[in-house]
Amino acid sequence: MYSSVAPNLLIKRLNKRTWAAIAATAAMQLWSTTAITADTGAVHDRRMAFVVKDWYNAIYETKFIDECPEGMTIANDEIWWRGLPVKDRPAATGEGMIQALNRAGQAMARGPKGENVCLEPWVVQDPPNHNVEGKYSFGVNIDGTTDGKATAKTCAHENFTHPDGTSGIDNQMYRLVGCTFGWRKNFGTIDMNANEMRNTSGLGMILIDVSEIDDPRNDDDVTVTFYRGVDQWVQDSGGAPLPFQTYNIDMVDGKPRYGDSVKGKIKDGVLQTGTGDVRVPFYGNYNFLHPLIKDLSLRLEISENGEKATGLVAGYYDLEEFTYYVGGLGAAAPVNGVNCPTLVKAAHELADGYPDPKTGKCTALSSAFEILAYAAYVRLPEPKTQKTAQN
Amino acid sequence: MQKLFIGALAAIALAGCGPSEPQTKGAPPDMRRLTEEQYQNIIADVFGLPLEVRGRFDPMQRTDGLEIVGARNARITPSGFERFYNVARNIAERVVDAEHRDVLVPCAPVNVAAADDECARKFFSQTGRLLYRRPLTAPESDFFVKAAHDGATTRKDFYRGLGMSLASLLVTPQFLFVSDTTERDPKNVNAERLTAHAKASRLSFFMWNTTPDEALLTAADSGELNSNDGLKRQVERMASSPHMEGGVRAFFSDFLSLADFDTVEKDPIIYPSFTVDLADDAKEQMLRTITDHLLVRNQDYRELFTTRQTFMTRNLARVYRVPTERTDNAWTPYEFPAEQGRAGIQSQIALMALYAYPGRSSAVRRGRAVRELLLCQRVPDPPGDVDFSVFTDPNSPNKTARERLTAHRTAPACAGCHKITDPIGLTFENFDGAGQYRTTENGAAIDASGDLDGVKYDGAVGLAKALHDDPATASCAVNRMYSYALGRAASNDDKAFVAYLEESFASDRYRITSLIQRIALSDAMFAIAKPDGSQSAMNGGAAVASAAP
Repeated sequence: MYSSVAPNLLIKRLNKRTWAAIAATAAMQLWSTTAITADTGAVHDRRMAFVVKDWYNAIYETKFIDECPEGMTIANDEIWWRGLPVKDRPAATGEGMIQALNRAGQAMARGPKGENVCLEPWVVQDPPNHNVEGKYSFGVNIDGTTDGKATAKTCAHENFTHPDGTSGIDNQMYRLVGCTFGWRKNFGTIDMNANEMRNTSGLGMILIDVSEIDDPRNDDDVTVTFYRGVDQWVQDSGGAPLPFQTYNIDMVDGKPRYGDSVKGKIKDGVLQTGTGDVRVPFYGNYNFLHPLIKDLSLRLEISENGEKATGLVAGYYDLEEFTYYVGGLGAAAPVNGVNCPTLVKAAHELADGYPDPKTGKCTALSSAFEILAYAAYVRLPEPKTQKTAQN
Repeated sequence: MQKLFIGALAAIALAGCGPSEPQTKGAPPDMRRLTEEQYQNIIADVFGLPLEVRGRFDPMQRTDGLEIVGARNARITPSGFERFYNVARNIAERVVDAEHRDVLVPCAPVNVAAADDECARKFFSQTGRLLYRRPLTAPESDFFVKAAHDGATTRKDFYRGLGMSLASLLVTPQFLFVSDTTERDPKNVNAERLTAHAKASRLSFFMWNTTPDEALLTAADSGELNSNDGLKRQVERMASSPHMEGGVRAFFSDFLSLADFDTVEKDPIIYPSFTVDLADDAKEQMLRTITDHLLVRNQDYRELFTTRQTFMTRNLARVYRVPTERTDNAWTPYEFPAEQGRAGIQSQIALMALYAYPGRSSAVRRGRAVRELLLCQRVPDPPGDVDFSVFTDPNSPNKTARERLTAHRTAPACAGCHKITDPIGLTFENFDGAGQYRTTENGAAIDASGDLDGVKYDGAVGLAKALHDDPATASCAVNRMYSYALGRAASNDDKAFVAYLEESFASDRYRITSLIQRIALSDAMFAIAKPDGSQSAMNGGAAVASAAP
């Protein structure tokens, strides 16, 4: 079962640049409201594709932060500062004149032997993570249960309810990071930085290719494939990608480096996939990731003129990949209230998907990501080499 | 490509059995200012590619459908002279700088810190000849040698003196203006004829859009150009040169008024895809399509308006909404699929975007452009007191341009001209103001039917065929090509010759290469009338367009 993102909450998450892009696109739509058909150019050779501009953790926030009754998770900088002898604190912070970013190096090197606690999070015992305790969350019911009890593929966990009332929502990633202000929509810049870095570098470009299309508005059998693009973005003056640009995909030994697929359907312009294990390219905050998202599903609402799409990616996000990312956040950590040891420890505690056969401990976090994508053309190699990952 | 030209030449040779060439009286001697592109080409050809001309010159006044005709009336204003001088000084400094002097100056001075008249004379003898398109006269040579001498003495630097003198040469009228210098015609003592060097310039700027090369100047020096065989040898050589592409591009840039594209702007909110890079690519796409069709593949000129073959970049593909083979914005051959609704250069982004408003399409501008540019028909300017309110009212119930124009042209004062432009322009309504394909406007389906002087059709593809079949399409190209070659509008005296060219163009299967060479080899190309002869204008070949019957 899949749930849509409440529009009023989704739009709050968009930054100014995205707003500018949307305004521009809206203006275009006012001028020309063409439904997706072959003559809009969205579909070529029974394919349409999208390049992902924004990839945000789906964070449900209330006005008074009721979902985080204990407040934000205590940041590394504060733990370091509190650990200093009182008399040394003024000098260590330059009487408060040294910014958190500039004292991050010494703040992170607070292990017993001076270890960097982001690289070696287990060497310290920090205060616990402030997990989200609210009732609601965006996301989908990935495991199919509404009670959160352990199954063959999951560990016991607490479910959320979607703001639209749908129960059984699995989003332990939100529970984990929702009270770290770096991931929150109003102040956090972790996801925003990652998006900016991808969009300006062309690295880690996520391409979504929808193939075997007979009708771009209604089709009960399409294939959705995820690739990594290797070309530079072309953007408008507001920083939004110009739609319908052609991108090459990342190839290795004559085959796509990425290319996992899931089957899907399109109804009234909304693409909804089934589930499958998909490795997704990613770059952000100076980290190259290629997380395997198990049971990935995608819901994509495609604009009538085919130029852009908004949607939700859900699935079990690889735990090790996430903790690696946290450890490598670098400069993004101190300015976003991140404390690596707390997050890593809590991530292991909250993991709810795919238990390790030996330890029984789960290895993945249920998660949901809001995406904004623009129409593109994906240039595929000949002959086509894809692999389908269907559960 | 050379084989194609040789083939075309053979065709011309055979065509010698066709209609005989009417004689023309020609026009009085004249002078034309170099266009900016010609100036750049000359500097590139004479001094090599590393040199660039930086700066803009006074614009030409487009006259009788061509900028090159306006060059006859171009003057140099004081501020324009200043720009010429700044550019000249920049060029001269680079010619004599340490990086280039060993290549571009044919000798080394005995003493770098002093004047060297012998070396300076050698330099101006060689370089001055290329720049003046004829050998320098003795007084001219003496003048520049002395200027170099004085400069070197004052600055105690031979090369600075040489550079100062070269800069002064580059702002002389002999360089900046192409002059029809004449001499007594040995066959008719009462008549004048163009000198061989003036012929060389006329040929070179027509076929190559640049200064005569060494071989052409040598042919002029020896008088070879004054003989039919010598002229034919040179035209054949020039026709097989890669420089021909530059000549054809220059003609069509002028013919289609593509210089206007340098200033085209689109509202970035409405057309975010229309970037500066895209505009450059759109212009280049049109010129590549033209040169490929007419030169490389030597195809029928009329098929330029029906062809779906073109070239594509990643930028352009974004607006055409097609995938590309290359993602580095390199040019790749491309053929529009039939369902794209595009045929001919007139349906490419360049003309669609150029003849539109920054935020919307314009059936009127597009219709007028087809009439004036492609058919050489004149469309009167709108009266000054036109009421555009019906057309521009944002609350108008009329959703499509056709509906708005229909309401607008109910005014009798507007109806006459709109009958001329709208049936053509509305054909292009499937392309928005940036040239992107669409089937609806404001939610209403677009009716792209039209008619061209009684020939009814549907959409841009239908118009393409109508243009192909319209006799005015080919005759317009002939008329403009002839005017372009001579740098003046065709006069009544030229009528018979232009008619002959049109007939020959048809018998040559509308090959532009044949047309160029037929003009270049004609007596009309070099005919000169006495300066006091008055000529009645043929109005640049532009018949006033009339409404469809």
